[in-house]
Amino acid sequence: MTNTKRPREPFAPWDRRTLPGLFDVDETAERVGHYKWVETKLFEALGGWVATVPELDVKLRLGTHCYHHAWHADLFDKRLPELREMKTDRLTVPANDQLVAFFDAMTEPEDATMTIEKLVGVYRVLIPYKIAAYTYHRNATSEITDMPTVRILDFILQDEFNDWREGEMLIQSMIETEEEIDRAMNHQLKLEKLMLAAGGVAGPGSIGDPYVEMPEEN
Amino acid sequence: MRKIFPAEELARDARFIRQTNEQRLSDPRGPRVAGGNASEQLAKLTPGLPNGPDRARALMHGIFVGEIQALEGAGRTCWDFEVGEDVPFALKLDMARQCWDESRHCEISVALAEHMGTELGEFAENGLLYEASCNPDPVLRLTGVNRALEGLAIDVFNTMKEFGNLAGDPVLEFCEDWMLADEVTHVKMGSDWLRRLTENDKERLEKALEFQKVVDRLFSFNGFRGEDDDSPIQLTRRFRELAGFTDDEIDEIADMSREAKAEAPS
Amino acid sequence: MPQVSVTPESFEMVFYDAAVIGEVVAEVAERLGVEEEITLEIDEKSPLGRSKVVSHDPIELWVDGGALENTQRPRQFGKARSRDTIGRLLIRILDRRSGRFDDAPPDDELELTQIAAWDVHCVGRLARLGIGGQQKRRLYQFRNRHGFTDLADAAFNQLWESSELSWSEIERISQGCRTP
Repeated sequence: MTNTKRPREPFAPWDRRTLPGLFDVDETAERVGHYKWVETKLFEALGGWVATVPELDVKLRLGTHCYHHAWHADLFDKRLPELREMKTDRLTVPANDQLVAFFDAMTEPEDATMTIEKLVGVYRVLIPYKIAAYTYHRNATSEITDMPTVRILDFILQDEFNDWREGEMLIQSMIETEEEIDRAMNHQLKLEKLMLAAGGVAGPGSIGDPYVEMPEEN
Repeated sequence: MRKIFPAEELARDARFIRQTNEQRLSDPRGPRVAGGNASEQLAKLTPGLPNGPDRARALMHGIFVGEIQALEGAGRTCWDFEVGEDVPFALKLDMARQCWDESRHCEISVALAEHMGTELGEFAENGLLYEASCNPDPVLRLTGVNRALEGLAIDVFNTMKEFGNLAGDPVLEFCEDWMLADEVTHVKMGSDWLRRLTENDKERLEKALEFQKVVDRLFSFNGFRGEDDDSPIQLTRRFRELAGFTDDEIDEIADMSREAKAEAPS
Repeated sequence: MPQVSVTPESFEMVFYDAAVIGEVVAEVAERLGVEEEITLEIDEKSPLGRSKVVSHDPIELWVDGGALENTQRPRQFGKARSRDTIGRLLIRILDRRSGRFDDAPPDDELELTQIAAWDVHCVGRLARLGIGGQQKRRLYQFRNRHGFTDLADAAFNQLWESSELSWSEIERISQGCRTP
C-alpha cells in the first residue's frame, strides 16, 4: 500500500534547475523580438530564392526550410504577448543597422549561377550565429521562470541543427573546383565581417561576454 | 534579389524544356490538355482507354512541373510583399507552410513519375501556372493561385485518385489522397484570406474574383474540366465545398466549362 | 539499307522532314534484318500516338504524327520515339511471319491485355538491340492491364527477358497473372 502522507521534496534529487537567470522579462522580450525579425527575414529570403535556383534538390530543401523558419517566427511571435508585449510588431525589429546590412548582403545574390553564395550565406554564416545565440539564451535564462522560452528554443535548435547539416551537405556537394571554394570563402568572409559589425543576431552580447576585468595589481 | 521574378527566368536544369504559351496555342493540332490533346474527343481519363496509362503518365508529369511552379509562386509571395504594408504576418506564414507542402508534393510527384515510368523532363513544361503567381496585388495573386489553380488541382488530384482506384494501383491512390488533403487546405487559405482582406473593400473583392475567373477560364480549354460524365477531369463539388466555395461559385465554374466545351472546335 | 517511302513528302502542321524519317525507319529495319521496301503513311494532323500495320507483305505502316514526336518539343521530330514506334511495328511483322503467331487474332481484334503483353515482349527484344527501351513505362502499362501484383511483375519480367516466345506462350503468361 502506498503511503500518501510521506513528504517529498518539490524538486526531485536529479532536478538541479535553479531560479536565477541572466535576463529579466523586458530583456527577454527584446531578444525574442530580434529573433522573430531574423527568422522572418530568413524565411522570406528562402521563399524568394526557390524560383532562382536550378538545382532540384536545393529548390525543394529551400521550400521545406522556408517553413521551418516561418514556424520559428510564429513561435517567437506568440511568446511576445506572454512577455508583456501586446503589440508584437513593436519589438519585431533588427538588433541594429549592421544586421540590416548583413541581411541586405546575404539576400543580394539572385542569379541562377549563384546557388553556392545563397547557401553559404544561410548555412555557413547566419544559421551558425543563430545556433550560438539561441544556445546562449537557452542556457543562460532561468529554467524555471522562463521555461516557455527554453522549450521554444529547444524545438527551434533541433530544427536549426538539422537544417544546418542539410545545408552544409548541399554546399559540400556543390563545390567541385578550387574556384568554387574561393567563391564560397570570399562570400563567407564578406558576410562574417558584416555579422561581426552587428555583434550577432541579437546584437552585441548575443552570446554573452566571456572576458573578465583584469584585477588591479597589488 | 528583385521583387517580382519573371516567369521566363524560372531556374531549371537542362532536363527541362519550356514551351511558351504562344507555341502551345499556335499548335494547329490543338493544345495539350489533361495528358491528352484538345483535338481528340477527350474522354474521361480512365485506365480502360487504350491510351489511358500513357495519358496518366503525361498528366503526372504536368502535375510535377505544376507543383514546382506552385512552390516557386508561394515562395515569391513570402518575398515579394512587406509584412504590415502589403500583407499580414499570418498570410506569409500560410505561404511558407504552402512552400513546405508544395516541396513535399514535388517529392511525391517525382516518386510517382518514377512509379509510372516517366523521366523528369520527358514532356515540355508550360509556365502558365507561375505566371498567375506574378500578380502584383497579393489579394489577386492569392485568389488566382489558391482558389483558381489550387482548385483545379483538387479536381485533377481527385481524378488521378479515381484512376488509381480503378486501375488497382494502391500507390497512386494513396499519394493522390494525401496531396488532395493539402490542396483543400490551400484553397481554404485562399478563400479565408480573400474574405478577410476584402472585408471592407468591395471593389478589391470584385477585382479579385474577376481575376480568378480569368485564370479559371485560361485553364478551361475545350471544357476539359467539368461535371459531365465524359469530362476528362471531373469537377469535384464535395472537396470544393470543404475549401470554402459556395454552391453558386461551383455552378459558375461548371457553366464556364460547359461554355468552353460548346465553343471548342469539333 | 531497305527502301523507305514516306507520305506525305512534306509537312505543314509539324516540323518533320520526310528524308530524315526515311533514314530512321531504314536504320531500324536494317538492325532488325528487314531488307524489303517499307511504306510509311503519317497523319500529321493527329498529335496522338497510335500506330498500326496496314499490310505485312508488302510492308505498309500507318502512324499518327504524334507517334514520331519529341515529347519535350511539341511539333518537332523525335528520333528516339520514332525508333520505338517503328521498331515495335516491324518486330510484330517479323513475329507474324515467323509461324509462331499463326494462331494470334488479327491486330484490330486484340484485347488491351494482349496488346500490352505482346508490346512488352517486343520492346524487351528491341531494348536488347539498342532500339528504344522505357522499361518502366512498359511495366506501368502492363500493370494497368494485368494488376499491380508481384505475380504480374514476374510475368512482365518473363515477357521482357524472353527471346522468341510464341503467341500461345504470351497468352498463357498474360492470362496467368491477370487480376480478376
